[in-house]
Amino acid sequence: MRMGRTVPDGALAARVAELRDEALTIIRPAHIGRRFPIQDGNIVSGSVRLAVAGTLAKHLVGCRSAYLACGTLGAGFDAFQRRVSATSGADALIVQAIGAALIEKLMDDVEAEIRRELQPNETLVSRYSPGYGDFPLTAQRELLSLLDAPRKVGVSLTDTLLMVPSKSVSAIIGVKEEIPTT
Amino acid sequence: MKDILNKTPLLFLDGGMGTQLQAKGLQPGEIPELWNVTRPQDVRAVHEAYFTAGADVVYANTFGANAAKYHGDAPLADVLTAAIGIAREAADNVGGRRFVALDVGPTGRLLKPAGDFEFDAAYDAFAEQVSIGAKAGADLIVIETMGDTYELKAAVLAAKENASLPILATVALGDDGKLLTGGNVECVAALLEGLRVDALGFNCGLGPDRMLPYVKRLATSTTLHIAVKPNAGMPKVIDGRTVFTVGPEEFAQDIATLVEAGASIVGGCCGTTPAHIVALQSLATNLPPRATNHQPQTTKRTLITSGSRAVEIPFDDSIIIGERINPTGKKKLKVALTEGDVAYVLREAISQAEVGAHVLDVNVGVPGLDEPAVLDATVQAVQSVTDLPLQIDTSDPKALKRALRHYNGKALVNSVNGKEESMACVLPLVAQYGGVVVALTLDEAGIPPTADGRLAIAKRILARGAEYGLAPSDFVIDVLCLAVSADASSANIILETMRRVREELGCRTCLGVSNISFGLPARPLLNASFYTMALAAGLSAGIVNPLSADMMTAYRAYRALTGKDRTCAEWIASFKDWSPASPSQSATPTLQQDTGNQIPETGNSQLSAAIRRGLKADAATAAREALQNGKSPLDIIDGSIVPALETVGKGFESGNVFLPQLLMAAEAAGAAFEIVRAALPSQDSGTVKGPIIIATVKGDIHDIGKNICRALLENYGFKTIDLGRDVPPETIVEAARREKARLVGLSALMTTTVCFMEQTIKLVHQELPGCKVTVGGAVLTADYAEQIGADNYSKDAMGLVRYAEQLFDTPADKAI
Repeated sequence: MRMGRTVPDGALAARVAELRDEALTIIRPAHIGRRFPIQDGNIVSGSVRLAVAGTLAKHLVGCRSAYLACGTLGAGFDAFQRRVSATSGADALIVQAIGAALIEKLMDDVEAEIRRELQPNETLVSRYSPGYGDFPLTAQRELLSLLDAPRKVGVSLTDTLLMVPSKSVSAIIGVKEEIPTT
Repeated sequence: MKDILNKTPLLFLDGGMGTQLQAKGLQPGEIPELWNVTRPQDVRAVHEAYFTAGADVVYANTFGANAAKYHGDAPLADVLTAAIGIAREAADNVGGRRFVALDVGPTGRLLKPAGDFEFDAAYDAFAEQVSIGAKAGADLIVIETMGDTYELKAAVLAAKENASLPILATVALGDDGKLLTGGNVECVAALLEGLRVDALGFNCGLGPDRMLPYVKRLATSTTLHIAVKPNAGMPKVIDGRTVFTVGPEEFAQDIATLVEAGASIVGGCCGTTPAHIVALQSLATNLPPRATNHQPQTTKRTLITSGSRAVEIPFDDSIIIGERINPTGKKKLKVALTEGDVAYVLREAISQAEVGAHVLDVNVGVPGLDEPAVLDATVQAVQSVTDLPLQIDTSDPKALKRALRHYNGKALVNSVNGKEESMACVLPLVAQYGGVVVALTLDEAGIPPTADGRLAIAKRILARGAEYGLAPSDFVIDVLCLAVSADASSANIILETMRRVREELGCRTCLGVSNISFGLPARPLLNASFYTMALAAGLSAGIVNPLSADMMTAYRAYRALTGKDRTCAEWIASFKDWSPASPSQSATPTLQQDTGNQIPETGNSQLSAAIRRGLKADAATAAREALQNGKSPLDIIDGSIVPALETVGKGFESGNVFLPQLLMAAEAAGAAFEIVRAALPSQDSGTVKGPIIIATVKGDIHDIGKNICRALLENYGFKTIDLGRDVPPETIVEAARREKARLVGLSALMTTTVCFMEQTIKLVHQELPGCKVTVGGAVLTADYAEQIGADNYSKDAMGLVRYAEQLFDTPADKAI
């Protein structure tokens, strides 16, 4: 719902505020993050293997471990979105944008929480998600399975690899160790 | 075997399985159930440790062994059969009276409408698991860690219908005491009591100290045995590992408080160990037998639920059942149901919810319609946009069965009556699927003219209900409302019967209030007065039109005057802006001062301004005023609505107006047009273009873009039939054929679903030559659209409107 330099007018701004307030009473954010070692270009646990290859490997170069993370606004937000969609396309669009902003904010918070767990010589590289670049969407299966996401946060996949609830984000976040300066 | 769960004073369950297997080397991501065939000795050792610790029941290692979740190398049947066998060996090795439970956990898939997994597919997966587990010799079935009432219902039905073993069902609550999909304690209790499980409760999710308030609430909502199987506290991450910190002694102390609150089946979940179960044993020594410990309430509450909301049908207060989704006498709804216009039905649902209805009636009885299919689909669609419980209203037994089975929650069933045929058909369905049933006081001889006669029928229905295990609290008696114009004593008989149903039968009542005024003028006035009288006589649930200000005023006044609206808060909220000039409505928003100014001014009427600014209510008011001032409907359309919409449309195309503003303007225009259209001679009001069939393709659940297209198309005057999302190609072709549509619009957001778009295009072109297909969605480009055979690609909703205008060969300046 980018407006560029244009300022939203009164009616729109008021509606955005109204729907945002309602959304905040409806969301039930949940998240999980878990650290895994990266060994020979893979994250392996049990029978599950998540390949760290292609542009993802470049992105995580120098990382010996990474966090897998998943956050969601919960199923209630989708119900809210269905409700407004049935009555107003404008509201649907606004709610969609509110959801996108809220889930991004949640993931920023998750990242901040993870950062607090790090050792002093460790830093995080930016979040990277399945479906971005050549990191295949099929990796969602392994990523969510390693996190036990359906049970822990209620996020699961459709047959076509979409996450449900829809306002959910999964990501891999590499941990870089700084070389001590001498 | 049914008495396993009745052991007194306490029945002991086992502790955590997954965390015990992890201690033996199970890795995250590894399939625990595979150990049943690869490392049976380790699984058996865990069971033996729990039996030795004092558990009466162990859960076999089958939590994720359903076809939807399990994808191991060994066949599912082998894994399940081995699991029951291992647990049985452990029971025999330890000796004593020990039981083996088939453990049924969630599929890991989210059911529709939240996800894409069909209720019937979940049922099938559970049914297979239950059949194999029962055959392998399980003593009981435990359904656990459920986070969604709908999946829970699928699992319980599968357990009931594929085995005859005792059923214990427990759910996992989150920090806020709710399920993942939003259901609360009362939702779970009502659903499971309705489905007639043997015991119910909570597991996982919370630690034992946090469960206390919810166990207390559960104890007031159910008369069944309550089970608790909490984690060893909340998980903490220490050095990257998940750990549970509550030790055995502390755990046992916390469980003791849960037992005091009403729990009688106890065990542990994640992080608990045999030592925790040992510590629980001391609890039993100090307790009296369970029968006196757990006191069932004398009167059960009458609860109906959706997936996330429980509504009590009160004995000493009243609720509103919205009557508007019932085609009797409603031409528009009849047309909408016949044409499959789900959006219209959904708007009826939402508008009733917004004004304060507590329950929505759903009746789709239109002659010639496939009622079982349409009722089922309509109930599911309405449940996807509102959390109000529904009253499933049909006289077709097949339709009732199908809708009740697929309903998420415990429904209100409308209705059973005193005819033998009706009781024999409806009561078993309520016993099977759960529900509260409306009992009409009529029988083969018709409606008795006296209170005595109606009461006798009610008694007969209650007695028949008891044969199926239904209590008086599972019924709401409808004493039947007949027109006072036909019989002057009608109202008096209704009121007397209602009072006596309450006093003599202890039952709740409901009534279709507006029938009273049939055949008389000024019906709303008479209805509202009679509604007040019925409320005073103890009406528990009025089936009324909540959009009628007169009815809602009567309801709110009654509650304020009888002290049910404590501090009159509801009355004040509804009428704080009331003035004699606007007797029935709170003030409508006035035209706001606009700070932004991106939309160029054209036309000078107030109506044009309201449309350009996207103010729906103001646009409707301005249109009404323009009509009152003598402007002709066509003048208003051509002089104000169309130019304003054109200005906004052009602004959007040139990048000065943004999508939400365009949509708000279009919706404001639509609201104005509705008013004006009502004033047009009837033959002119049919000037709609289309129809256009639109859908999100199979496999895809993103429908925001598609909904925006629908909204814009409708507001530009196109008849649009929206088939929803995840729609198979065949359904789209069938609808296009039936409606003789010349245009089909398809949306897909993901690369993984464009293949279904391609299939749909092929099928449309093959089956319906001459029907065009236009496509849109985030992953599409004009080139890609051409490659997959689409006739047109629109980059946005406005582009689609322009294409449709061109196709239907209508001059743009008439586009409304």
